[in-house]
Amino acid sequence: MNVLLGILQDGLFAAIAGVGFAAISNPPRVAYKYCALLAAIGHIGRYCLMTFAGFSLVFASLAGAFLVGLLAVFIAPRVKCPPEVFSYPALLPMIPGLYAYRTLQAFMLALSANGEEEFGHYFYLIEFNGLTCLFVVLGMVVGQLIPIMMFKRVAYTSTRD
Amino acid sequence: MNPNHYNSSTADRTDTEHLNLGEVCRFLTEYAACLLACGATCTRITRNVGRMADIAGVEADIIILPSHMSITLSDPRDGRTFHYTSSLANVPVSFNINTQLSKLSWKVAERRVNFAEARQLFERIKEAPRINQWTLALLVSVANASFCRLFGGDPMAMAIVAVATMAGYSLKLLLLSRHVDIKLIVIACAFLSALISCVGYVTGCTSTPDIAVGTSVLYLIPGIPYINSVSDLLSSHYLSGYSRLAHALVLTGCIALGMTVAVMLMHIQVIP
Repeated sequence: MNVLLGILQDGLFAAIAGVGFAAISNPPRVAYKYCALLAAIGHIGRYCLMTFAGFSLVFASLAGAFLVGLLAVFIAPRVKCPPEVFSYPALLPMIPGLYAYRTLQAFMLALSANGEEEFGHYFYLIEFNGLTCLFVVLGMVVGQLIPIMMFKRVAYTSTRD
Repeated sequence: MNPNHYNSSTADRTDTEHLNLGEVCRFLTEYAACLLACGATCTRITRNVGRMADIAGVEADIIILPSHMSITLSDPRDGRTFHYTSSLANVPVSFNINTQLSKLSWKVAERRVNFAEARQLFERIKEAPRINQWTLALLVSVANASFCRLFGGDPMAMAIVAVATMAGYSLKLLLLSRHVDIKLIVIACAFLSALISCVGYVTGCTSTPDIAVGTSVLYLIPGIPYINSVSDLLSSHYLSGYSRLAHALVLTGCIALGMTVAVMLMHIQVIP
């Protein structure tokens, strides 16, 4: 029961984040509900892969983003919008913001470190957080672009009436 | 410019001989510049322009530069060429404009509108109303608070992030209305949001103050340029890909700068 609640909560907050971040890029009004839906599905997909299948954050992000991209390509012709309109905002809640922040923090601390051991510790934190952040972002972006490239004809004719 | 120089007669729509190709070239370039500014990928721009050029019976070669768009149309019937360069349109990222302009390209390609009508529709699409800015600020605040929850923040941390985002986004709107440079805006907003979010450390009202500080500036992350840059790189539009990546990295650096100053000012140390 707790697991199910956790999954639903994850989806709900991802959907709210997806809609809010979508609003910044001013999508057509009809697109908001799909942004929420895809953000929730993508985040739940990633959460489930990490919790139940033991995927690492990077591969779970890649798979979650692939799912978002795939759904976006097939929703797009029905709503007459480019798939990017749904898939880009839906990805944003997956951004590993805390890893980016911890990289920055470790960087600041490494610059003011006393001695080799302390510097080495902070440098390790820069590498760990920075590389995780970089590869999660790359996985997310590439994952959602693969379906657009696989189904180019559908993706680029979706706005045709 | 008189848009009627295009093929304005409905009866003549299939007759590309009477098109003023200079005006068509100008229209296509301004159209492409607008698409680039509102966040379309290079592949979409070349496809949309290409299908409209096809209907005019000409070939379009497009040069996409970071701040300019340049198109050469060549007419295979008589070998004439037409060239036009346009600065990037002054429109913010808008997937609504992107969608409407993509639909417009299909209307032209399927001869449902001629180039004169397309020009008028284009001008109308550019002026389409955007979401109310204060509603947007509220939506972004709630979104960022939800983001904080996704990272494991407690309800108090969420409330702090919502307030910090609202303040930062309001400052962004104010500075944008005064045409301040975007980099300075991002530095100022990141500083303000991070400063406010440090309240969790100062008062101890939340058990996850680090998550509040780390999440408070994420609404400023240039997500669309990052994704577009990878899309452009994967489709071999390297120049555009790198320039979009550079733009996104500069803005991310500005976020880091604003945040660092705020955190140092408050003597916050997240990592033990």
